[in-house]
Amino acid sequence: MNFVVITNNPLVYEKYKDELNVDYADIPFRDVLCKVRDMVYAGHPLLTHPLSGSVKPHETPYKSVLVGTKPGKMEQRDASIIENSIITADKFAEKFPNMPQHVREDFQLIDCTLITSGIDAVLRR
Amino acid sequence: MTKLELGNIIINDIQFSNEKSKVENGVLYVNQEEIKQIALEDENIASCEVFIARPGESVRITPVKDVIEPRVKVEGPGGIFPGWIAKVDTVGSGRTHVLKGAAVVTTGKIVGFQEGIIDMSGPGADYTPFSKTYNLVVKMEPVEGLKQHEHEYALRIAGFKIACFLGELGKNVTPDEVETFEFANLVESAKMYPELPRVAYVQMLQSQGLLHDTYVYGVDAKRTLTTMINPLETMDGAIVSGNCVSSCDKNPTYVHLNNRVIRELFKAHGKTLNFMGMIITNENVYLADKERSSNWSAKLAEYLGCDGVIISQEGFGNPDTDLIMNTKKIEAKGIKTVIITDEYAGRDGKSQSLADADASANAVVTGGNANQVIVLPPMETVYGHLHFVDTIAGGSANNIDAHGNITVEIQAITGATNETGFHNLSAR
Amino acid sequence: MSKIKIVQYINQFFAQIGGEEKADIKPELREGVVGPGLAFNQAFGDEAEIVATVICGDSYFGENLEKAQAEVIEMVKSVNPDMFIAGPAFNAGRYGVACGTIANAVKNELNIPVLTGMYIENPGADMFKKEIYIVETKNSAAGMRDAVKKMAPLALKLAKGEEIKSSVEEGYMPNGIRVNLFEKECGAARAVKMLVAKLNDKPFVTEFPMPDFDRVDPNPAVKDMAHATVALCTSGGTVPHGNPDRIESSSASKYGEYDIEGVMDLKEGEWETAHGGYDPVYANEDSDRVLPVDVMRDFEKEGRIGKLYHYFYTTVGNGTAVLSSKKFAEEYAAKMKADGVDCVIMTST
Repeated sequence: MNFVVITNNPLVYEKYKDELNVDYADIPFRDVLCKVRDMVYAGHPLLTHPLSGSVKPHETPYKSVLVGTKPGKMEQRDASIIENSIITADKFAEKFPNMPQHVREDFQLIDCTLITSGIDAVLRR
Repeated sequence: MTKLELGNIIINDIQFSNEKSKVENGVLYVNQEEIKQIALEDENIASCEVFIARPGESVRITPVKDVIEPRVKVEGPGGIFPGWIAKVDTVGSGRTHVLKGAAVVTTGKIVGFQEGIIDMSGPGADYTPFSKTYNLVVKMEPVEGLKQHEHEYALRIAGFKIACFLGELGKNVTPDEVETFEFANLVESAKMYPELPRVAYVQMLQSQGLLHDTYVYGVDAKRTLTTMINPLETMDGAIVSGNCVSSCDKNPTYVHLNNRVIRELFKAHGKTLNFMGMIITNENVYLADKERSSNWSAKLAEYLGCDGVIISQEGFGNPDTDLIMNTKKIEAKGIKTVIITDEYAGRDGKSQSLADADASANAVVTGGNANQVIVLPPMETVYGHLHFVDTIAGGSANNIDAHGNITVEIQAITGATNETGFHNLSAR
Repeated sequence: MSKIKIVQYINQFFAQIGGEEKADIKPELREGVVGPGLAFNQAFGDEAEIVATVICGDSYFGENLEKAQAEVIEMVKSVNPDMFIAGPAFNAGRYGVACGTIANAVKNELNIPVLTGMYIENPGADMFKKEIYIVETKNSAAGMRDAVKKMAPLALKLAKGEEIKSSVEEGYMPNGIRVNLFEKECGAARAVKMLVAKLNDKPFVTEFPMPDFDRVDPNPAVKDMAHATVALCTSGGTVPHGNPDRIESSSASKYGEYDIEGVMDLKEGEWETAHGGYDPVYANEDSDRVLPVDVMRDFEKEGRIGKLYHYFYTTVGNGTAVLSSKKFAEEYAAKMKADGVDCVIMTST
């Protein structure tokens, strides 16, 4: 399946930009989810869970989600998952407002490995 | 019929000793040098320190990587932690000795935001099951430049090795008590208690990626299809934790070894139900994997002829979707479910608790609201890294006051809201 | 320390004035305890005392809601109590609704802790359990002793401002606020017990009730919209300027019915919103943003719909009890049906 990686994680962008379709933007966590939501509403299939990882939303500033490239009919399941994910994310306040760079990089790495497990699954490798 | 005897050697204390490590009269004597030597066998580990944390002491351990119970195979095939320490022979039969009441707690900062607090006394102690065990705390530092996944691997394996080393000390000790578990094959089970409802256990294993992985006989659970396992195999370490995130609702290896759902099902077996088997499934990030895995859970539960299942969970957010998929699909087969989860209902308890929900999930056991705020008073001694506590958590508003009290949500406490029903916290 | 002063609200029946024939009596303030108050005072010991009792007939309260509320609040205020207890009402429906209504009003207006008690199926329970603490009682007055046993300690805690533990520990009805507690048994043991009960069709109580999805199957499509009568409804609180029927800005107890015959556009200054749950600026500027009368008139002109129904129905959805909303809709849906409305557009905010 053709898909696009929606992300605000520079590490994901660097790792996959030459190989995959990566839609990177330096935007807040919530905006990544909203971007995905709008795509799901437009009929793009949601491929990975928007709340991947046990690191809490807004504890990690990074989020990557796989969304199908080709829009079809909106999937009720996908809309429900992304909407609930946004509602859930909104419960969490930003935890580390002054995040040291090394912690930032750790969060990038975790998000990157989570989405890599999704990418590997979609590409069956 | 598979039969496993667990010989429990009750440990009432841990003490350091300059002689060889041993177990004598309920005391685990540990020679620190022996422990360090094991840790330093791995060239990726640069240094190792060993401490003892006893129930009631003014001690805080953080950040906790894993908690492991020392065990040793005395009779029967295979060894503890197949696929890691032992070969992959099928375990779960014969006799295993357990240093009951003792635990190896590994600590090491793999990533900067890692949590996991065990307070041995004070208000925080009530929230972690591991304030009641005698803990051998092993703090390990990696060589410079070691990548996070190699670091995680090094700590995980060192923890297993040390636990096995300690377990070995109990090999020739006469246990204080012997528990016997028997598990029959499908046909025998069905015949055994035809009048009782047939029940299986569906365990969901965390399987999303780095610091979020679980292994079965050494295999990464995200690479598996939903399958069946003899519950006795878990008592010899067939399932181990590679998970270090979301300390309140992750399952340390100790929890896999002592899975209380399995325990309770054995207790009820032949009395109020017929324990037919155990299904293990995963919590992958790819939605198609979720659909496939939950289809298989339902299919296997049906194949086992179940009337009911208990489904347990691990982690936050993403697994809520697996939990609800499993529940819906299993209920749709006419099989009744009880699910064990935990909640993120906000600090005020007013928010929607789960990221996914369905009316078919009408029987829920909860491990409590992980957002509940608790004030942890300072401890005299901290083993591990205060880094999380004073630098990171302190970075957010009002986390630490002038007296050294730290205000955290209980999600930072190891095992507080465990989703295999290991602990007794709940919410209404 | 002086005793905690409590005022109790009871109906004509528990005041031993009479039954249904006396249900229309007006509110009355008596010094000291009347009826069930005695048992409460005994339970309070030295810590608290019911210093006054307000008695009101159930019909009077129900039929003169606003007036009765205002009268009772004045009486309570005159005593200047630390705490207010209404009921317990057991399974008496009107009494339960009155207890919930007045306790909620006292809480909001006098800012003192309040408590009531009733049977779980009393309609007052669903209406108010999220607003105020309601102790679950048995279904008849025979359960008075049990009710006092649960209500008195909780009333003391509330009055003293102590920490209120979880609903199972304190005996109040779950109010949607999740509170942690330590159980005697571990979760796994509770799960096995729950499963065994569920398998044997025995009663069990889930520790986390799933959110209530009151899903409604959509009706079949209206085939001929060009001749259909379409009605507009809203929970967005659109009302004529000045809110003549005083629809509450939250937890609405009523709905409005307004004529829009000949109204082509909801103009600023003529229409506004009564809703207290969102910023009203844009709704007040142009109420069509909430209730699209202008667009419907265009559709009418273009012949895309038959006509716009000449009434619209409106309430405030902000914290309004599901049970109240259902009651409103049942009433006005019947009117619309009688008037030949074919379909309804319900707008929310």
